[in-house]
Parts: sequence; C-alpha cells; structure tokens
Amino acid sequence: MGELVMKRFFDKENFLFPSFEGKAKKQSVAIAVGLIVGFILASFTFFNMLYCFADIVGSIVSGSADVAIADFLRSLPVFLTFFMTFWTVLALQAFFRNLSPEKLHRSLMKNGIAITAFAGVTIVYVIEGLIEGRYLKIAEGSPSALYPLDSVLYAVLFVLVGVFFILYAKKFIKKIPYVVPSRGPVCKKARGAYCTFVTFWCLFALFGLSGGIFTFFIYDFAHGYAFYGIMTALAYLLSPCFLLVWEFYFNELKEEKRKEALLPLVTGALCVSGLVAALYFLSLALGLDAPSNAGFGMFPVAFSASVNIATMLTVVTPLVVSVVVLVKGLRAKSRG
Amino acid sequence: MKTKFLLALTSLSALTLTGCNSPFHYEEHLADYCHALRYRDGFNILQLTDIHWNANTSTIASKRYLDKVFAATATRIGSGNKIDLVEVTGDQFMLANTYHVTTFLEYFEAKAQEYGFSYAVIWGNHDRHGLYNPNWLSDQFNKAAHCIYNDLEDDLYGRSNFIINLTEDGTTSGATKWQIANLDSGASFSETAVSPFRDYDYIRKDQTQWWLKEHALVGDTVPTIAYYHIPQQDNLEAWNAIHNNNKTYKHKFFKLEGFADNGNREYASDFIAEGRKHHLKAAFMGHAHNVDWTVDYDGVVIGLGVKTGPELYYAHVSTEDKDPAVQEGYASIDFKEIFDLIGASMVTLHDGEAFDLQHLYLNERATGDFVKWVNW
Repeated sequence: MGELVMKRFFDKENFLFPSFEGKAKKQSVAIAVGLIVGFILASFTFFNMLYCFADIVGSIVSGSADVAIADFLRSLPVFLTFFMTFWTVLALQAFFRNLSPEKLHRSLMKNGIAITAFAGVTIVYVIEGLIEGRYLKIAEGSPSALYPLDSVLYAVLFVLVGVFFILYAKKFIKKIPYVVPSRGPVCKKARGAYCTFVTFWCLFALFGLSGGIFTFFIYDFAHGYAFYGIMTALAYLLSPCFLLVWEFYFNELKEEKRKEALLPLVTGALCVSGLVAALYFLSLALGLDAPSNAGFGMFPVAFSASVNIATMLTVVTPLVVSVVVLVKGLRAKSRG
Repeated sequence: MKTKFLLALTSLSALTLTGCNSPFHYEEHLADYCHALRYRDGFNILQLTDIHWNANTSTIASKRYLDKVFAATATRIGSGNKIDLVEVTGDQFMLANTYHVTTFLEYFEAKAQEYGFSYAVIWGNHDRHGLYNPNWLSDQFNKAAHCIYNDLEDDLYGRSNFIINLTEDGTTSGATKWQIANLDSGASFSETAVSPFRDYDYIRKDQTQWWLKEHALVGDTVPTIAYYHIPQQDNLEAWNAIHNNNKTYKHKFFKLEGFADNGNREYASDFIAEGRKHHLKAAFMGHAHNVDWTVDYDGVVIGLGVKTGPELYYAHVSTEDKDPAVQEGYASIDFKEIFDLIGASMVTLHDGEAFDLQHLYLNERATGDFVKWVNW
C-alpha cells in the first residue's frame, strides 16, 4: 500500500525538478529557499502590520479619526516593510515559475522598482519624520525597541534586493538557463476571479503561518485551554500548508500527472480541513471564553467590533480552498 | 504495539482536554489572596485606566504624559503628603508585545521609587490581546518589586483577583481600616461555538462569593472599595433610573458613549447588589473611554475613572456641542472650556467610612497644558 502511494504520488518521474540539470538545478533550489524565507518574512511583517492596522481601525470605529491618522503616520514604515517584503516574494515567485524570459523580465523590472520604491520611501520618510519631530528619537521604541531604526535598516537591505532584481532583469536575463512552464495558463475570463481567490488564499496563508507559529509562544496551554490552543494552531497552519503543497508539490508535477493528482489531493485536503474545522468548533464549545482568555493576541482584527468572525474565517478558509479546487477539478474531469 | 499507541494517544488527549494542572479551591486559600498596606487618614489612591500601550504607541510620548499626571497629582495633594497607591485598572496594553510590557513595568518601578507608592495591576479585556503568553504577563507583574498582584492556580474565575487590606500596622494580621478589592472582570466570550459575536465578560458569581469571604475575614463592617475593568449592568441601571424614572441619585461627570457592559440580563453580575449589603462603599472601573460618569447608586458610588492618555480613542468635549449628554456633563462640573476627556482619578480615604473623589483632566497643549481637578 505504502509503496503504491509512493509510486503514484512521489515517483521522481512525475516531477519537473529532476529533469533540470547542473546550474538550473542549483538555481531552482536557491530560488525555492529564497521563496520560503521571503514568505516567512512576509508572514511576520504581515502580522506586525495587522497589529498596527487593527489599532487604527479601532480608533476609527470608536470615533477618534485624529488618533487613527496620527497612528498611521507614525506606523507607515511598518506597512511599507510588509509591502517591500511581499513584492520580493512576488519577484521570487516570478523567478521560480518563469514561464518565459520576456515574462520574467517584465515581472522582475516591475517588482524590482516597487521594492526599491517602498524601501526608498521608508528611509526618506523616517528621516523626514525625525526632522519634523514625528519620531522623538531614531530608536524611539514600539512596536520594537529599535523602531523606526529597524525599519530603516530593513529598508536598506531591500533597496539592495530591489536593485538586484532590476540589474538582473537588465543584464543577466538571457543567461537564465531554464524555463518552467509548469502552470497551466488561466483563461482571460477567469483571470480576475482566479487572482482574487489566490490573493485571499495567500493573505490567509501569510496570516496563518505567523499566527500558527505565534500560537506556540503566546497561548496559555494551561488552565484547561490546551485542546483549544492545539486546534487553533492547526487551523492557522492549514492555509500555509495547503499553499506549500500547491506550490511545491502540485505545481511541480508534470502536466499529465497534475490531472491525475488533483482529485485525490483535494479530497484529502477537504477531509483534513473539515476535520480540523469540526474539532476547532468542538474545542471552542468546551471553552467559550478561550479565544479572549487564552490567546487573544492571535486575533488582531477581531477586536474592533468584538466579533468572532476573524477566528471563523481562519478556520473556514482552508475548507473553502478545498471546495473551490474540488469543484474546479470535478468540472475539468467531466469535460474530459 | 497498536494498543500501546492507542493508550498513549488516549492519555494525551485526556491530558489535553483537561489541562495539566489541578487548581486549588479558592476557599481553602483565602489568606493567599491578601496583601496589606499601612493605613493613614488621607490615604491617596490614584486610578489610572485604559492606558492602552499598543503597536502604534510612542512610549516616550506616553511616559511624558504619565509624568505630568504624577506631577499634577503630587502638586494637588501638597508637600508632606503622598500618593499611597496607584490602581492601574485594566487595558494597560492592547495589540502590544513584550517590549511594551517590560518598558511599562520599568517605568512604573521608577515612578514608584520616585513617589514612594505601590501600584496594583488589574487585567482588562485587552491585556490579553498581545503577542505574549498571558502567564508570562502575570509573571512580570509578580516579579515587579512595587507591584501588588496575584494570579493563583485556583478555581476562581479570572486572573487578578486579590485583596489589599489597609491595616493599622501595614501587616496582613493588623486591624483592617479599609479594604481594597481587586477583581478581574474578564474579557469576552462566545455564547455558543458558532456565535458571530462575543459578549463582554462580567464579574462571575464565584468572584462575588470569594470577595464576601475575604471581607468576612477582616470583619463585615470594614468599608470596601472595589476596582475592576468592565462596568457591570448597575451603571446602566442607575443611569436609566435617573433619566427614565426620575430617581434623584447624586451623579456627576460625563457619559458620552455606552458603558460597554455585558448588556444581557442572563449574564448580570450580583457583585454590586451583594456589596451593598456588606459595606461596599464604591466601585471604580474603566473600559468605556468616553465615560467618567459617577453615581451614588443606593449607597454604593459607582464610577468610571478618567481614561489615562491619548491612546486608541477619547472624547473631545466642546461647549459648542449641543448633545444633551455633553451639556449634562458640563452642568455637573465647575468650568466651561473645551477639553479632552483624559487624565486620572483620585480617591482619598478617611477615618470612618468617608472618602473624597476627584477627577483630573490633563491635556497636553502646545500653548501650555490644561490641568483641571473636579471634586465629586
């Protein structure tokens, strides 16, 4: 049985990667590592940004727009830090799935300029803020001890990253030895819906990854909340796990093997996410105060209207992803 | 092998579902909740509430504001007198992290040394709302030298439930002149596992019973003041009794938004009702930033402290505002100026069962700070 599964799902012959040779193989591995590191960084900067954002939303809904504006102006580098990181992930993604040298060139130029711009604006903005008195010190503190100095140092690094992408696109693009046409083209009609779906999935995956990791550090696993804590961690980690499988397993399969793998994969995902969602709600039913008493910090956006919806969205999203892909797969199968 | 595995899995699940610790029953450890401070006639308690250090806060600017509150209070009470106790009544943090907590406690420790006070910390709903483990936060409060705090491994609902007995000799065995009850009014909860909304928490019946037992220990006639974070249903009841049923309770200050209490009769607290029978003289809280309305509700003074500092949200109070609630607030105080509803509150305890209450409105302004004290 095990052998059959291994043969069907993990046979080397099914994948694109083993067909690469020499330098292309090394490049592919390096970019994959870069993509994972970038995604993790984007995930944590996203969570950090959500903290600032949630407080600003709180001020707005409570009728203190002046406080919200002042807070936004102070925390703008936190927002820019996420954007420069996220655009780096997009650039690395373009590398990883470069469909053609022309598309890669376009993507690297576009994303490289965006990264450099976000990073450059951050540096100038902090310097201007110091001169204007918005920041009382270069390391004024909050959200970190070194803020906004840490944002400036991070931005300097990303200026280099952005410039690297631009230079690479201009000078070395022709030397890239491999092209990976591993993702089927999306028809024009469906492109909008596809992009919206994938964007939301990515955002939930970013939120879920850092949230899932934070769970282990900030949850009160004592006081009878352990079951709830474990289920929350699993619920959070499902979205990034599905994304990981999609990008590094499904999209790595050869065209003809992908069709075969789709239904078993999605059925498995549906079962896992359904089970996790059911257990999550059971754990909540056993401790109705758990979200706010055991690890309220996990729900930055949940506070403003005292709603439970953010928690539910996190749990339900992997389920929605599975259902959508399942429906898509079934339709594709019926069409032959 | 399979059986062993299943056995291990079942044990792990049972452990997970029940939690690892077995908490003690609070009634068997009543003395463990008690702290003591030396009482004197004119004992000053400064209440700071809803400071809300968060991801967007400039801690330098916030500390500068708190410096001014302490300085204004010291000036008010005069030389030869001092702030004896600072009650920090919840929502010190929100969307904060370990940096905020350590900086906050370093600051309060420095001020405690400078002014010679102890400070008691109570959990608000948002103190759980940060990137730290709640148990870690409790540990930090416990470790701070001048911080009075308890979070015991008990079966009592909430974390910061503790008593400060103000005794003649400053020890827990001395005769108690006043009692300060600190309660954790919780955060929020879902009514069911699939409720889209959460209800604000409330003081549970076991917490009321706990306080009654602590109170009985020092003598049922000892006057008590309670501090907690979330208003209970009594504030709204008193407001409605005055505004809908023409009751003539003494009341003062501003109510510019709802009390943000639980609002559901099913979850009504019995704390004030029971307290009224047992010499509870006053209960002070925070939570709703645009409210510092205070009322003498059938013998118990219930009031929200003035929100401390400009984080998250606060009310701009204007004489131009025709809102009846604003006008009613102005009518109850002795000045007519535009100001922000931020500052602090101070209670001064006297022999017998008397106490004074003052609200401080302190606004930082480029043209010179606005500082006003208003007596209850």
